[in-house]
Amino acid sequence: MPLISLNNLSKIYPLGNQQIVAVQELDLRIEAGEFAVLAGPSGSGKTTVLNIVGALDTPSTGRVRVDGCDYREMKPKALADFRLRRIGFIFQSYNLIPVLTAAENAEFTLMLQGVAPKARRAKISALFAELGIAGLEERRPNDLSGGQQQRVAIARAIAPEPAVILADEPTANLDSHTAEDLLQLMRRLNREKGTTFLFSSHDPLVIAHAERVISLRDGRLENDIRQEIG
Amino acid sequence: METLLLAWRNVWRNRRRTLITILAMSFSLMLIQAFHNLSFGVYAQMVDSGVRSGSGHIAVYRGDYALSRDDRLLWVMDEMGVMGVMGNLQTRITALDGVKAVLPRIYLPALAQSSRESRGILLTGIDPIAENGINPLLKQIDAPALIKSLDGRDALVGSRLLSELKLKVGNKFVVTAQGPEGQLVSELLRIRGLVKSGIREVDGSLVMVGRQRAALMTGQSEAIHELAVILENPDLEEKLLPLIGAMLPADSGLNAVSWELAMANLANAIKLDYASQKFIFLIIVLIVTIGVVNTLLMSVMERIREFGVILAVGASPARLRATVMTEALLLGAVSMLFGNLLGALATWYLVEIGIDLRDFIPETMEFGGVVFDPVMRAAWDINYMLQMSAYVLLLSVIASLYPAAKAARIAPAVAMRHH
Amino acid sequence: MLLRLASRNLWRNRRRTLLTLSAMVVSLALLTLSLGVFSGMLVDILSSTTEQYHGHLVINAQGYLDDRDMYLNFPSDPELLKRLQQDGEVIGSSERLRGFGLVSHKDRSYPAELLGIRPEMEKTVTKLHSQLIAGTFPSDADPNGAVLGSGLAKKLSVSPGDELVFVTQAADGSIGNDLLIVRAIFSTGHSGHDNSLILVPKAWLQQLMALEGKIHEIALAVRDPLRAAEDAQRLTSQLNDGLKATDWGELLPEMREAIASFDVSRFIFVVILYFATGLGILNTVFMSVMERTREFGILMALGMRPLQIRLIVLLECLLLGLLGTALGLVVGLLLSSYMALVGIDLSGWITPVTYAGGTIQPRLRAIFEQRNFIDPAYMLLLVSLLAGFLPARRAARLQPVAALRED
Repeated sequence: MPLISLNNLSKIYPLGNQQIVAVQELDLRIEAGEFAVLAGPSGSGKTTVLNIVGALDTPSTGRVRVDGCDYREMKPKALADFRLRRIGFIFQSYNLIPVLTAAENAEFTLMLQGVAPKARRAKISALFAELGIAGLEERRPNDLSGGQQQRVAIARAIAPEPAVILADEPTANLDSHTAEDLLQLMRRLNREKGTTFLFSSHDPLVIAHAERVISLRDGRLENDIRQEIG
Repeated sequence: METLLLAWRNVWRNRRRTLITILAMSFSLMLIQAFHNLSFGVYAQMVDSGVRSGSGHIAVYRGDYALSRDDRLLWVMDEMGVMGVMGNLQTRITALDGVKAVLPRIYLPALAQSSRESRGILLTGIDPIAENGINPLLKQIDAPALIKSLDGRDALVGSRLLSELKLKVGNKFVVTAQGPEGQLVSELLRIRGLVKSGIREVDGSLVMVGRQRAALMTGQSEAIHELAVILENPDLEEKLLPLIGAMLPADSGLNAVSWELAMANLANAIKLDYASQKFIFLIIVLIVTIGVVNTLLMSVMERIREFGVILAVGASPARLRATVMTEALLLGAVSMLFGNLLGALATWYLVEIGIDLRDFIPETMEFGGVVFDPVMRAAWDINYMLQMSAYVLLLSVIASLYPAAKAARIAPAVAMRHH
Repeated sequence: MLLRLASRNLWRNRRRTLLTLSAMVVSLALLTLSLGVFSGMLVDILSSTTEQYHGHLVINAQGYLDDRDMYLNFPSDPELLKRLQQDGEVIGSSERLRGFGLVSHKDRSYPAELLGIRPEMEKTVTKLHSQLIAGTFPSDADPNGAVLGSGLAKKLSVSPGDELVFVTQAADGSIGNDLLIVRAIFSTGHSGHDNSLILVPKAWLQQLMALEGKIHEIALAVRDPLRAAEDAQRLTSQLNDGLKATDWGELLPEMREAIASFDVSRFIFVVILYFATGLGILNTVFMSVMERTREFGILMALGMRPLQIRLIVLLECLLLGLLGTALGLVVGLLLSSYMALVGIDLSGWITPVTYAGGTIQPRLRAIFEQRNFIDPAYMLLLVSLLAGFLPARRAARLQPVAALRED
């Protein structure tokens, strides 16, 4: 069974009197361990698909199953819990909580899970070392560079060991060198830990690193290409 | 703990806004506490002076004298069947714990006549020994001018009455009242001193004599209208009222009433004043609450994106709600501490120094039949201060309900598109 | 242009503006309401002694008020009365003779104060005729009809139609006594008056006290009671030697002080309430300035001067203040009208209370006094401008480059 399966998915937003079709009759399967990107120009529906997969948004019609769970059968509380344990999120920027330190931000999901402070600390220290941000634990987000902030966000996303990490334009606010480093890092995590990654991006750099490029245009599937990465 | 810490940091994210809000809350708390304590002190002083010159904390009357002031409701202590092994009613009440004095009094409406004028008066018969040192009306009178005996012809006369009758201390005058059978009875009295209370009605109509001298005009030298019981402490009233009531035989027609009933004028004056003060407090609280709602709502609205992220990483809406409410609680707690500090300082000042109103009002302003001391002093009402502190916390939580609901209703997908 | 910018800015954060506005409206509306109710109480207190007894001012022989000496009387003078009635400020006048004595009915006797009056004249000065609980107010033709207070009537157990005997010292040293017939009973809530005052025909009392043709005072009602002192001064200068007009403020100095101290407490009350409101406005304006830092940077980069930036912020405050004041006044007027027309009856909760020589009636009733609306309204506008001062300065001091970098 695929990790993520979308059946005949559509999403329609009301906008004034009009209706905006963001996603139209999309069928998609993503297996565990994939490193895939949803590509397409802005407005093509990538973010909507990502939000729906992440249980942040509900489809107008169609069916979503992630890690064996059908979202339609779940209550809001169960969905929040599912997000907490099975899905990791990485966003563009500003997605750290400014009043918390880097370590506290990374620990946040573990704290929500009720992991004991000591265990949390240990896990995050190891992760920080692994992600190359050791020593920055006590800094506030404002004192970190964009790349460092995204690494903290990655630490927060992978700390609970989710089934899939959803990354919405993770490189949008980074220079290409930092972006390259970050992608390498995520690729390594994907290989070493087998974590599934699903990106949404129109950054050629991200697309170049992906094993699978799912192109969307006007809410429809345009292309689904697998490519070899060096 | 984490929630608390997170909330604490969030509270201080916008330092200026938080400080202004805390200032408004704590300043209001201070005002409310200080004003209440001031009134508390002034009322206590008014009640004290009122009960000492008036009905006592507890008064024993026959029938409905408290309301009707019908001078026919006379009674004689020893004839009411209240004699016991311990002696008469006065001795038995005096023996109770917490009773400072028991003052028998008789009040007769009468006409005072000098050689030129006549005026309506209230002939008040007292027990001079018991009354001296308790009754504030007798306070400024020099010892030699005080009445000495229960049945002498010496009288103390209100200052305005004295001048209206064109009399001087040492002069004699005639008092005419109604005798036991309806006939008119006259007595010759000698003016020993004058009473200047600042209360128009007292100064214009008071004639005070030994109670037997007054009572003789009714035909019974032991007759009285009132037994005024002065307590060591006004809080004892609740405990002692039933005890004194139980001493009065059921068939005697006697009853014990609290000063609130016996001196409705004073009790109502205080009630009215306190009610208007409460109304002002209510307006202040309302305005401050709106301010707190505004602050909390602002802090929620500017963090919509952040809340979206928190929801996205798996926090439940209930958790967001709790965060906002905890922030409000912290805001309330800080304001409460700070406000109590300010309130205590203000009260301390008002207790020690007080407010001197002599520049604004004459020294003898009357309110509810009692002279209002122009130097107002507060008294500590710790219970009330604690109660108000609890209200501040409660208020901040109530003010957070709407902002918290707002935060919990955020849709993460929309919130993250928000800038 | 600046005005349009300011007014649009005000509505950028609708919820915040509305909340701030509501705090302003609540404070102004409830403020005017409570001031109206307090003024109503003061009017009650004042009328309890003026319109129920003294009149707004009285003309007596010099020294009479000190001890109400029955010999300090003066002859009734129709010329004087006519002159007084022609004065533009005087709306009522009544000649009175006063006597003290014992009043009896069957075997009950009580001391009483008698006012010898002519009923039709007295009606122009006091309102006792409209506070009757039994009987009808006697006419001028009634030779010995009496109107007495409810407390006295109860103690004597009399009702209209009963006979009373009044005993007093006459001016010639003799003891005079004569019969009265109870015509009506009034109840004012003022215990002093209800328990001792009796209105009797002036001619009857003059004859009993051997003071034919003499009176002790002329009580007057004037158009504006609060300016009675000026009227008293003017009238005194027109009177014969030996006569003096005295206004209620001089008769009851403690009441004059109580009314004067109301102005002080009104001021304190307004300051306290507006302090809390002002902090709320300050917060709102600060927030709106801070979140527009970047925008102010752009405006400055476009060439707007700091003074103009400051002006925009202050204009916003002024608009907010004007809006709050207008709405607050409307709500305040509505609440006050309700309290003026309907009011709240407190007689189930408290009895009348004496204060500064007058009586507070057990009811809440607002009266309209311009000052109770105008003063708080001005103050609210002032407070809104003051609250805008700090944020405006802050906005004007922004450095354009730094402000633009702000996100």
